[in-house]
Amino acid sequence: MNPEPFLQLDRVIHEKGRLAIMSMLAASPELSFTELRDALAMTDGNLTTHIRALQEAGYLAVAKSFQNRRPLTTCSLTAAGRKAFTEYLNLLERIVQQNRPQ
Amino acid sequence: MNPNWAEENLQTIRTLMERSTLYRHALAPIMFLAGIIGVLTATMGLMLHLDLPRAFGALWLGSAAVVIAGAFIIVRRQALKNNEPFWSPPTRRVAQALVPPLAAGMILGLIFTLFPTSEVVDFTLLLPFLWALFYGCALHAAGFYMPRGVKWFGWVYVGSASGALLFLVVVQPDMDISAHWLMGFFFGVLHLAYGGYLYLTEKGKNAA
Repeated sequence: MNPEPFLQLDRVIHEKGRLAIMSMLAASPELSFTELRDALAMTDGNLTTHIRALQEAGYLAVAKSFQNRRPLTTCSLTAAGRKAFTEYLNLLERIVQQNRPQ
Repeated sequence: MNPNWAEENLQTIRTLMERSTLYRHALAPIMFLAGIIGVLTATMGLMLHLDLPRAFGALWLGSAAVVIAGAFIIVRRQALKNNEPFWSPPTRRVAQALVPPLAAGMILGLIFTLFPTSEVVDFTLLLPFLWALFYGCALHAAGFYMPRGVKWFGWVYVGSASGALLFLVVVQPDMDISAHWLMGFFFGVLHLAYGGYLYLTEKGKNAA
């Protein structure tokens, strides 16, 4: 087995929780903090930590606003995040192809 | 390392992406539509005394057909407005989750209203509970690909139908209540309440 594609996998995205967040956001223009937390069954603290890590990597943008006088935090993928996610998927596809019996 | 991990990861990503998009935007109007038609149908049934099994079945199955057609139009309009495909993979999954329990409820409804052979059990009175239970199961199954509230809404149906049935069988077996009242509550009032909840809690821009 050629380990090259595996070694190229983006470590920031590869973590289970962050991969789930990226996957959800890849299919939606934006999602609120609550929607992500409920859909992924994460705790507030856990989700905040992952969001911060993705934000620091430049993959995720966080916007804060108000809805019905209550604070609303929404997340969306940045262009860099979308590109990194696509590359991550391509590498996974390559690994799958590589593991497939000839 | 499990050699299939990459494939499993891809499958998980696919599922999460499908769960991320769905009818969320069109749910409130669909709930209002179902609620209004539910209340109107119950009123019509009570006023016209459509209590015989066939009339009852025809009225409520017809009403369900109108709601399904209306929901179809709302979802299609929403998809067109957002430049999204109507029959997308997530839409298909929701439909696949909804169909078995709804079909089971419809088949039982047809059998009970077309062939009401029992002298002991009032099938017309039993149907609202069965339909509410099946509908609750359908919502819960579809809720996997929809906002979390839909699953809870499914549980509301299962809980209220079970509770009301238990109350009627154990506590008040002699209570004389029209099945239209039960249908109006389950499929009218509950839909209106959930529609109102969605309307108040959804983001303004998401309202259809």
